[in-house]
Order: sequence, then C-alpha cells, then structure tokens
Amino acid sequence: MISVTDVTLNKVLYVEDDPDIRAIAELALQDVGGFNAALCSSGQQALQVAPEFEPDLILLDVMMPEMDGPETMRRLKSLDATRSTPVIFMTARIQNSEIEEYLALGAIGVIPKPFDPMTLADEIRTLVAAL
Amino acid sequence: MNNTAVDQLQERLRLLQERFFERARGDVETLSGFARLIDQQQLPKVELEKCYQLLHRMAGSAGTFGLPELGQAARAIEKQMKAQLESATDSGADGLVSVSVAVADELRQLATLLENAPEMATSACAQAEADSHDGAHGMQVNVMALGHNLDYLADLVKSLAVYGFVCESGSVDCPNDIAVRLRERSSASILLCEDSGLGDVMGFREQYLPKAEHRRFPVVCVGHENSFETLYRVAEQGATAYFCEPLDMPELAERIESLVLERGSRPQGRVLIVDDDLELGEHYCLVLKQAGIIARLVSDPAELMSELSAFEPDLVLMDVQLRDYSGVTLARLIRYEPRWLGLPIVYLSSEDNPENQLDALSKGADEFLVKPVTDDYLVRSVRIRCYRARQLSDLMNRDSLTGLLKHSLIKQEVDRELARCRRAGHTSCVVMLDLDHFKRVNDTWGHGQGDIVIRTLANLLRNRLRESDVIGRYGGEEFLLILPDCEPVVAVKLIEAIGKSFAELVFWAGDDSFQVTLSAGVALINDFPVSDQAIEAADQALYQRKRDGRNGVTLYHPSLRGIKV
Repeated sequence: MISVTDVTLNKVLYVEDDPDIRAIAELALQDVGGFNAALCSSGQQALQVAPEFEPDLILLDVMMPEMDGPETMRRLKSLDATRSTPVIFMTARIQNSEIEEYLALGAIGVIPKPFDPMTLADEIRTLVAAL
Repeated sequence: MNNTAVDQLQERLRLLQERFFERARGDVETLSGFARLIDQQQLPKVELEKCYQLLHRMAGSAGTFGLPELGQAARAIEKQMKAQLESATDSGADGLVSVSVAVADELRQLATLLENAPEMATSACAQAEADSHDGAHGMQVNVMALGHNLDYLADLVKSLAVYGFVCESGSVDCPNDIAVRLRERSSASILLCEDSGLGDVMGFREQYLPKAEHRRFPVVCVGHENSFETLYRVAEQGATAYFCEPLDMPELAERIESLVLERGSRPQGRVLIVDDDLELGEHYCLVLKQAGIIARLVSDPAELMSELSAFEPDLVLMDVQLRDYSGVTLARLIRYEPRWLGLPIVYLSSEDNPENQLDALSKGADEFLVKPVTDDYLVRSVRIRCYRARQLSDLMNRDSLTGLLKHSLIKQEVDRELARCRRAGHTSCVVMLDLDHFKRVNDTWGHGQGDIVIRTLANLLRNRLRESDVIGRYGGEEFLLILPDCEPVVAVKLIEAIGKSFAELVFWAGDDSFQVTLSAGVALINDFPVSDQAIEAADQALYQRKRDGRNGVTLYHPSLRGIKV
C-alpha cells in the first residue's frame, strides 16, 4: 500500500467529458483552490497527458462515453507515472453500494456531483488529509 | 485572494453560469420533446435511455451552476426513469416503452424551474426564490399516500393521478425513505392516509419533517365512517381534511388542489425601488433579494415608466425626495396609466410629520415607511404588502369558481402575447375550449355538479399546462388558453391529450356517474393583425369541431372564415 501522507498536493488532473463542468472545475481547482490543474475531456486523453503532467491527484468522472471512470483508473494504474497516484471519483449517483465499489477498486474517495465550485478544493484536501 | 481577484473570479463564475443556463434551456426543450412522446405513448426504449442520460447529467451539474432545485428535480425524475428502464427490457416488438404520464408532466416542470431561477447573482438568492411557486399553474401538485395498507393506497393514488397530480405511495414503516422523498420536493405535498393510520402519519410528520415546514405537508384523511365521534377524533389528531368512503373523487381532488393553492400563497413578490441614491437603492435591492423577493432599482426617474412595463412589479418603493424630482409627483404620474391604478406605492421617507404624510398619501401613495428602516423591517413590511397586493389583485382579476383569469383580462393577455410574438419572432397559439353538452350536465345533475365539472377542468388545465401558458375562463363553460412559443401542431396534440384525460374522468352524483368530453379550436396568433381576430378564429375552429361531432380539437384554417355567423 502506498503512503500519501507526505504528498504535496499541487498538480491535479481532472477527467470529465462535459465541457461546462471542465470550465467550472478549472476555476474551482486553479483560482479558488490554488492547484495546478490539467483538464482532460476523455480517458484516452488522460492517458496521454498523465505521464508528462505527473499529477499528485486524479479526479475522474464516473460516467463517460467510451472509457468510463473505473476503466480509466485501471489503465492509469498501469502507467509508471500514475501507478500510485491517489484517485477520487466524481459521481452524480451516490448510493452506498457504489461508493463501496469505487473504494474497493482503489479510489481514495468519492465526491458527489453536483459539487460546489467554492468548496471543491477543500473537499479534496480533506479526503487526502484523511489518508 | 485580494478583492480584484475575487471580483474577477465572481465574474467568470457568472459567465459560466450564464453559459450553463443557456445549455440547460436547450436540454429542457429536448426533455419536453420526450414528454410529448410519453404523452402519446410513442417513446422508444433508446429514446428513454437518452432522456435518462440527459437527466443524469443535469442532476450532476445544475447544482454546481447555482441551480440546485433544477438538479434535484432532474434527480427525482431520473430515479423514476431508472426503474422504468430496468423493467422495460422486454418491451413490445415496436420497441416502444410505456412511461407514466406523470413523468411527462414532471419533465415539463423542469422548464418552469429553470425559467423561475433568479438571475443568478448569488447562490443564496437562488435558494430563496426557486421554491416559491406552488399552486401557480404549471406547478405540480404532489400527493404522498402513507400508511400500512399499501394495496388500498395504491388504488387510491391511481384514481387521483388522472387529475394530473404527481402521486406516490409509501409505507410509514420506512420513515427515513419517505422523508427523503418528501424533502426532494420543493413545493407543498399532500399527505394522504387512512383513518386507521392517521396517528402514525401524524407521528411521522412530527418526528421526521422539520416543524417549520409542517404547513407544507397538510394531512388529508380518508375513512369508512362518518359519525361525529370519528370526525372529532380525526380532527383532534390534526388532519386538515376528512373524506368518507365511497369517495367523491372530484371533490377530493378539488380539496387537494385548493390546499396546495392555499399553502402556496407565500408572500414573494416583485418590487421596484425608485431611489436616486444609488448606494442606498442597491442596498435595499440586495436586502430584498436575499429574502427571496425579486427587486429592481430605478435610479433615473425618466426611466420609471418603461421599467414599470418591463418589470411589472407588485409594489413600488419610492423615495419621497429625489434630487431633481418629487416622489409624490412621480406617484401621481404612475396613476395616469390605468394599468397601474391598483399598484401599491409605498414611500420611503424621513418625513415623520403626520400632516405632511397625509398630504403625500392623498396624492397617490398608499403608505409610508419612515427612514431609517432596518433591513429586517424592510423585508417584513414589503412581504406583507406584496402578499396583500397579490390577494387583492387575485380577487379583482380572477374568476371565483375556478381561480382562472377573467374574460377581460385574458383578452388583454392575447393582445400582449401578439405583441411579444412580433417582438421576439416566436410562434404562439390561442385555444378556445368548450365543454360538450354542458347544459345537459346542469339539467340532469344540477348546477352544483356542473360547477364541479368546471372546476375539475380548470384544475386539470393548471396541472397540465406550462407556467408560461395563460388560462382564462372566457364564458360559462368556455375557456381561453394562450400557449406562447408553441407550434400549432404541438398545441393540437397537447389539447387532444388533455381532452382525452378529461374524458376519462368519472363524475359521481349519488350512485350515478357520468363523463364529460370537451371540444377545442386552435388558432395561430401570428396569423392575425389584431388579437380579437385570433380569438375569433379559434372560436370558428371550435364551432367546426362541434359540427364535426365534438370531443376533439380542430386547427383553424382560412376556409373556416365566417363559418359561425
């Protein structure tokens, strides 16, 4: 098991197919949260961007066309750069069974959608601090 | 972040919100398309899937962009649809799936929620405003049947659903689940129960719903005994209404409707503030907005009259001493316009001499608020006055039997819609609707029954039409509807569907029952130079429909001109 307690949380990769959500997430992460954020519109794009960007944390939308969140995570975990990078799922469907399922896959947490752009960064920090 | 950065951030957020708002408009329109397919039972499974995905996306995003109510409503429908989707695996060979018409109505509700969303200044103000339109037409009336005998309740709910209510039933043994479902709704919900379960339902409301919101959840009880003892016991337990088996469904539906209307008449209003002190005016504006009141500031009195027409306030707050103008004179000027004769004008003034106050009142204002006013006092007094103003204007403008607009006002509305069509370039329809053989209903079953039929139709129209549609009682059994931004073909389909639902309703007179059908004529407002001609055309189409055997809808065509002499 990886230890992320001493992770410096600076670079955040967010994968989301909805352009409007990406735009507001960029604000929430960069301007409000002070992170260095990279936004990807698909799992494929994330796989290309991740090795170079070397994120400290990855946020994945669950429901995406073609490659969904869980699948994207599985593939990211097979890359050297992101093998041990913590992953948080973003989902509009919050049922306990689903949260359990995502945690079992290796995610460190789940953030429900819709998120509040003013507090998203705090939620992320709280989840990471709890590790 | 420093102040400039915060401002920039706010500005960017606002732009994103606007963009999202535009997209949501498109999405809501797409969803109304699905609603129409559901009405016609023409929804293929693949479309249901698309509809579900759209709702899911909306549920997950609207809240982020300051539209939490929209998101919650989408989530509620999404849940219902998920169940439908899972059970629809073995649909017919045509691939069509049957979805409850109530779902279609809820889909249409989304448009109302979106259009009623405030101008997204702050999210706090978004919260305060969006939950305020219960009972206005186009808003759903929710019924939650609660108890232990679920089979009985399910039947009851089924017969209520035909009146256009959104009905659910549930067991009081799962209080948490019920409480969650109730809290998802922003408007009033009727709790319906049997007298044997009344105690448990009252206990549930006490324990699981916030005390401050009990008014939103009136309890209607049904039972099998009509003795004084039973009624007293039911009243003692706190039920708002009691109905005895065999149930008079129209009467029950009527009561549910009026309970929601009553619960929905919360004082929220539109206030125009006239003050040339920009800072103070903006402060008042902000304070009122935060309380969920829609406020607009006019700082240049020269723009007052045009702002009045554009904004249509319930109340004007007028500073008495403006720099170059007198508020008293402005009030008098407002009254030049017959339309604003009934508009309450309240002075904001530091004038505490009663003599001078009286002088100002005689010149056209209604009341004084003496400065300085505290924020809290301002909000409370404006609320009360808006509420009274609404009550009064409802009394003057609405038909007492149906609560719909009166003849003269609905005609004015057609005028205004014609002007809007010309300005905005959209297509709107006017519908003349008439009950078939209504005289026979009155003669056979009595005028009391006739009134019930008329009220039932009024309620059904309120439930099935959009918030932006206008409904008026034109004559005895005639109704005039305005459907803005609606193609004639769509209007015909919609009215046909409403006519079909209405024809299915069974009215009871003692042991006898009867059903009533309706006929309607539709005309495209844009086709006519003046509104009277559009109404006349709809009337001619209606006449043609009556000749063609009633119980249906006819679209006006120029060949019908002069058909009715």
